[in-house]
Amino acid sequence: MLLFKLAFRNIFRQRRRSLLTAMSLTGGYVLCVFSFSMSEGSYSNAISFFIQDHTGHIQIHKDDYLRKPKIHKSIEAPEDISAILDASEQIESHTLRIFAPSLAYSETDNSPAQVIGIDLDRERTTTTLAAKISEGSYINSEIDGEGYYSAMIGAGIANNLNIGLGDELILISQGADGSIANDIYIVGAIVGDRRSSDRSTVFLPLAAAQEFLSMNDEVHEVSILLKDDGRARAEAEILQDLLPDLAVDPWQEVEATFYQSMQTDKQGNVIFMGIIVFIVFVGVMNTVLMSVLERTREFGVLKAIGTRPAKLALMITLETTMLASISVLLGLVLAIPLVLWFTYAGFALPEPMDVGGILMSHITGELSLYVFAAPLFLILGFAILISIPAGIRAAFNSPTEAMRSN
Amino acid sequence: MSAVISTTDVCRFFGDDEETLVKAVDNVSIEIERGEFTALVGPSGSGKTTLLHLIGGLDNPTSGSVKLSGTNIAAMSGTALSDFRRDHIGFIFQAYNLIPVFSAEENIEYIMLLQGVDAVERKRRVSEILAQVGLEGLGDRRPNKLSGGQQQRVAIARAMVSRPEIILADEPTANLDSKNGIALLDLMKELNESHNMTFIFSTHDEKIMKRASRLIHMQDGKIEFDEKK
Ligand SMILES: Nc1ncnc2c1ncn2[C@@H]1O[C@H](COP(=O)(O)OP(=O)(O)OP(=O)(O)O)[C@@H](O)[C@H]1O
Ligand SMILES: [Mg+2]
Repeated sequence: MLLFKLAFRNIFRQRRRSLLTAMSLTGGYVLCVFSFSMSEGSYSNAISFFIQDHTGHIQIHKDDYLRKPKIHKSIEAPEDISAILDASEQIESHTLRIFAPSLAYSETDNSPAQVIGIDLDRERTTTTLAAKISEGSYINSEIDGEGYYSAMIGAGIANNLNIGLGDELILISQGADGSIANDIYIVGAIVGDRRSSDRSTVFLPLAAAQEFLSMNDEVHEVSILLKDDGRARAEAEILQDLLPDLAVDPWQEVEATFYQSMQTDKQGNVIFMGIIVFIVFVGVMNTVLMSVLERTREFGVLKAIGTRPAKLALMITLETTMLASISVLLGLVLAIPLVLWFTYAGFALPEPMDVGGILMSHITGELSLYVFAAPLFLILGFAILISIPAGIRAAFNSPTEAMRSN
Repeated sequence: MSAVISTTDVCRFFGDDEETLVKAVDNVSIEIERGEFTALVGPSGSGKTTLLHLIGGLDNPTSGSVKLSGTNIAAMSGTALSDFRRDHIGFIFQAYNLIPVFSAEENIEYIMLLQGVDAVERKRRVSEILAQVGLEGLGDRRPNKLSGGQQQRVAIARAMVSRPEIILADEPTANLDSKNGIALLDLMKELNESHNMTFIFSTHDEKIMKRASRLIHMQDGKIEFDEKK
């Protein structure tokens, strides 16, 4: 109590100096919070973008299909899995897919294409595919009068093949049984534009794709959307136990490259912030040392009359820590509205920014405990760290030396 | 009467080699009885401050022993020595004695807080001692709102309030004019007599020396002569 009183009054002794120190700490804290909020926010946006675009929170495959996709690594009896997933409380929806590389032809041109067979109804509730249609409308799985299925094609393919809505599209690929697969489809919709990630994709009704590739009712992938973003790993583990013969992976595994580069980038951000805080603290350290040196005689007297060395060191540490705490508290008051605005309004970028391979045109922050707490611990930690040498100096300084100075 | 302080062949040398060696205190053996009012006198550099620091446990002797009420403090260090000073020795320095951010009362209270004296007792002792040093009503002033003489009175009050066996004062009047210096010394003498408290102080001032009951003259770190009145 006494130490607190002494430390507190000492802070107000050199008002201007303490104010300047507090201002640089407050500024450093707000800057840190803002930067953490931006980094967390842009990654959250990127994550929710690809989760909703196609990845989902969890995916199920046969064996190592995720790393080495081969047409024969397929999931048999997907309807059993669907029954399990539909029954789960945690799962919002899921969809079934098959994939095959193929060649697409029109009457005049050809182009490589990625064929994806999708469960049309389930895909619609699981991903944003329907919203990405730029021409035509979401297809159904019916065969037209001439016996053709509809297809939705990426804008890149439409451009390469010079075809549009209602035109015929010929696909050639290799079936699961090794046979040559080829068939004609009618373009029912065009997806995205020529820059979209699915510009070279051809979406077929699941049944059409299964027929085309001679896959019976098998699928390659089950993609699952959860109700709660944070439960991907936990739910994946639960499902893995239920489906021991299949590989269940959370998005962190599915998008491993992205996830790892995000982790590295976040660590880099923490280090970068650490350096900024360190630079702020070089100034603060100087001030702390100066204020201790100035009071050498005073500390000598305090020691002479019986203040224990450890108590003296504690007092000096307390002084800096208290000043830092006050500054951070003030910073918190300033940072909360800033982050609120940043999270709910944000600002548009003049040029789109690439976040882990996804282009972002709008930047928003993230409002979370981490965003406020991490810089807080960073600054308080540094405050304690830099006051230790000053404290030790005062603690070990002999009172006779101190009394002879000045 | 038993000796409160006894030093035996105590030495304090500074510097390592022959040429720079300074024998600040050189083979000093003294005994000081309870209730004595002793002045340490001698020219500048004769070793008065160094000897006071050795007696007060602020500095460790190069050789010899310093006993306070039978405890050899030359062997103590760190926290133990710190606590010993807190409980057994009161200090008054030439200047800058007080904690500038504490009021007179808080300065006096500080040492009792270190000792763990309870709040009621602290309050009682603070007002009692403020009256004794003639500072009633000035307890809530900070040092910069007190005159030099008043500040030294607070320092005396702080030194006494912990009820130490001895009070060491290194040129307590040096920063005061002669009128205030004499008044301060009269106060010390009064407290010495009323409380039977042992005082040792150093001084250059002839008028101040006269008030001491014992004069220890130092020269080149040695005791030149020791006169009791
Ligand atoms: N830390 C030190 N290092 C080196 N020499 C020192 C140190 N402290 C004191 N001395 C020397 O020891 C001698 C005695 O010093 P001291 O301060 O005890 O004298 P003093 O009698 O108190 O003098 P004054 O009347 O000027 O206060 C001096 O020669 C001084 O220079
Ligand atoms: Mg001296």
